[in-house]
Amino acid sequence: MAGLKTIIALSFVLAIGFLLVILSSALWKNYLPLLVVATYVVAPLPNWICGRAANPDDLFESSGSGVIDFGRFLTGFLVVMGIALPVIFAHCAFIVPTAAVMSIIGGLLIYGTIISFTMFFQEQEEF
Amino acid sequence: MASHRLFRFPKPQWLNNANTRTAGVYLAGALFSLGFFFFIDASAFSSSPRNGSKVHITFVDWIPGICSALGMLVINSIDKSRLAADSFSYSGNGVAWKARLVLFLGFALMAGGLAGSVTVMVLKYVVPEYPWPTLWFGVANVVANACIMLSSVVLWVSQNMEDEYTYNLAL
Repeated sequence: MAGLKTIIALSFVLAIGFLLVILSSALWKNYLPLLVVATYVVAPLPNWICGRAANPDDLFESSGSGVIDFGRFLTGFLVVMGIALPVIFAHCAFIVPTAAVMSIIGGLLIYGTIISFTMFFQEQEEF
Repeated sequence: MASHRLFRFPKPQWLNNANTRTAGVYLAGALFSLGFFFFIDASAFSSSPRNGSKVHITFVDWIPGICSALGMLVINSIDKSRLAADSFSYSGNGVAWKARLVLFLGFALMAGGLAGSVTVMVLKYVVPEYPWPTLWFGVANVVANACIMLSSVVLWVSQNMEDEYTYNLAL
């Protein structure tokens, strides 16, 4: 199911997301909304790192699940941070409210692309 | 397990699901982030050009949030299975007693944080009768601490779920 059309559609959505975020920065010559991109790129990382750090094989010794939970906690933190940062910037008059809305939509598109990409292509790796 | 119930209504079945537990952990992180950024918003607003008043966020406003976050760290770093482990043989030297003591400290820190945020709001912003944009500093502080407390509750419940789940899996 993860064919060529999926890749094309995902890259299309990713390009639209980056377009929105860069436009929201460049139109007002104020490059604070670019932080949203950094947040959403970093957001899936704690899950991967903590998933590698914990050993999922031993069921009885549940010592690794604390590490996995911490990674998930950090991911949830970062996802909300990506929405909260533009809102704070707009509330404190660092950026224009229109730029905040554009960067939120663009950031959600970027993050959705990353998540659906891992969802589509993770099955093949784990035979 | 079913005959040892205390309450008349059984725990819903979806609570023992692994997906529910994952969603709960994500939700806890999201709630913590929400509370944290409510306070960051008030703090940034205080030093932004929009703040027309002379009142600013000082270190006093930070203390309740620091207490709440510390309490959350203490509560959730304890292994929950040690709480009821007084009868088991491997937990000698009163592990459950120590766990309860540390847990009490954590809850005291968290409740102190929430109460402290209300205190700061009343004493610093309500009693001098500041208008709205300044009052927001106090309200955001209370909202932030309430969100952190809620996040801790969600994390606690979902970690207890995990114990049940692995128990069922091990049998």
